[in-house]
Amino acid sequence: MDYLASMGVLIGIYVILATSYNLIIGYGGLNTIAHPIFFALGAYTAALLSIETSLPAVVCIAAGIGVAVVASVALAMTTLRVSGDYLLIASLGFQLGLLQAINNLEFAGGPAGLSNIPMTFAGPARSWIWLVITAAVAALVIWLVRRSMAGPFGRAVRAMRDDEEACAALGRSLFAMKVVIFAVGCGAAGLAGGMYAYYFQYISPEQFSIAQSATILTMVVLGGIGTIWGPIVGAFVLVALPQAITFLQLPSSLVGPLQGLIFTSLVIIFLFLRPHGLVGTRLAGGVH
Amino acid sequence: MTDPVILLQILWTGIAMSSYFVLFTVAFALTLKVEKLWNFAQAGLMGIAFYTLYWALNFGKWPVWAGVLASLVLTGAATFILEVWAIDVLRRRRSSSLIFFIFTLIFAQFMAFLLTMLFGTEPETIFPSVMSPVRIVGGVAVSDWDLQAVGLTTGLLLVLYLLIRFTRDGQFMLAVADNGKLAEIYGISAMRAYLLSGLISAVLIVAGIWLYGTRAGVTPDVPTNLILTAVIATLIGGLGRVFMAAMAAVGLALLQSFSILFIASKWQGLLLYAVLFFALLVFPRGIPVWRRRIKAPPPQKAEVAEAGA
Repeated sequence: MDYLASMGVLIGIYVILATSYNLIIGYGGLNTIAHPIFFALGAYTAALLSIETSLPAVVCIAAGIGVAVVASVALAMTTLRVSGDYLLIASLGFQLGLLQAINNLEFAGGPAGLSNIPMTFAGPARSWIWLVITAAVAALVIWLVRRSMAGPFGRAVRAMRDDEEACAALGRSLFAMKVVIFAVGCGAAGLAGGMYAYYFQYISPEQFSIAQSATILTMVVLGGIGTIWGPIVGAFVLVALPQAITFLQLPSSLVGPLQGLIFTSLVIIFLFLRPHGLVGTRLAGGVH
Repeated sequence: MTDPVILLQILWTGIAMSSYFVLFTVAFALTLKVEKLWNFAQAGLMGIAFYTLYWALNFGKWPVWAGVLASLVLTGAATFILEVWAIDVLRRRRSSSLIFFIFTLIFAQFMAFLLTMLFGTEPETIFPSVMSPVRIVGGVAVSDWDLQAVGLTTGLLLVLYLLIRFTRDGQFMLAVADNGKLAEIYGISAMRAYLLSGLISAVLIVAGIWLYGTRAGVTPDVPTNLILTAVIATLIGGLGRVFMAAMAAVGLALLQSFSILFIASKWQGLLLYAVLFFALLVFPRGIPVWRRRIKAPPPQKAEVAEAGA
């Protein structure tokens, strides 16, 4: 049962990540794949603060959000003047460069990562408490995205995604909107990172690699880009299905690659059979 | 550290080490030019090429030529299958660049997981030893591998240049790269050009992974890092400029080699990303190249008379 709760926490964290990423790529139309680095910044900031200071978890996680927001604004200010494929590659460079830096920083644990993150909510109900917290935070993030995208700001953001020139002609500051969308989405990724670090108590650079970019991107696109439910369904399907093989009693050296194989096979199958996503329509996002 | 012989040694080693970067970069840049495709699936093709060579020479005990041939055939077949049954399907659906990006990236990941299951995560080399005989030329150590690497890369680039410049298929590839729809109106098969560019890339990938795998250990994750260097060099060279991308790859390799004079080796990787970021911000269309302006010929007398009339 503890395993199920643990999987639920992981799904909740991915729901936050995929929903916030959908805000950037699905609603804002900003083709960036650096989301995992903001997840990493949130996780590392929260973890380091919790190890080095006796600050409460909420404060450490809030600091993680702050660092992710500051880094996202810095990236946005410099790269949002390029778009499309260039932005995609610039964000990839930013992510891999920062990961390389984390990999080489001794105080961040280097390639081995950080494993001595203090435990919160000790006891047998720990995973269930975390499940409730994660579910509540995920629901809050979904509600916020849904509410903001249903209002005037959301309409302006979608108009910007569909036709930048027409949107600018209406007097909207595209740059400001892009920076806000980017900062909010990345802040949520920082929040997910802080929660991940506190729950799993172990983080390492390889957890935030390019494979993680592909995972989150796939959750959004295969769930249904530019929809509220798409990233949620994507996160459920792509986290839960590969976990099924853990019940097969296979050697541990096989489980990781096999889960990866199942994940990538699912992505390739869905990409060709449901190109508009599991809950998406052919029009949403217009990326099929 | 500023001894000229040491600098010469770093220069030569940097040039030799750039060989596989150049081959991977040209493979990546050619596909991007002709197909307008950021083909990260080439990382998966590198995996297929390397592990075919590794299996054939170490387990199958095949002769070298047979191993290379098997690697060429398998990598070429994988390229063909990808082109016809995956990329062309997405192309006909008018999928966005994001979908192509996801597909190629996920294919590379799929291959990495598959190869991990088959061969494990231990670094492997094509031959049991990566040592190669060395001779001293003017105080600079020159190994057989260095000569093989520089010779093979130069030869393949020359053949590619001649193929593009002087054959019909090469010219057709350029036409499709410039405007695929217009080329098809003129009876050029875009699919044939896509396949040809893919197959040329497969040959370059096999050559590149041969050089890399005879020099260093390869794990299923290594190709992803190699393709990223190719992406950086392609961007710096400028999209659509295949041979400039090759030059950029040499430049990046030299920058990394000479950086040991100034920074610790563990930070060399970061240097690449810093260059990428800088290049994207300052030269989003690649480093500008000086070109001689061609003056328009003066109007002929008849044309002047027509204009006056």
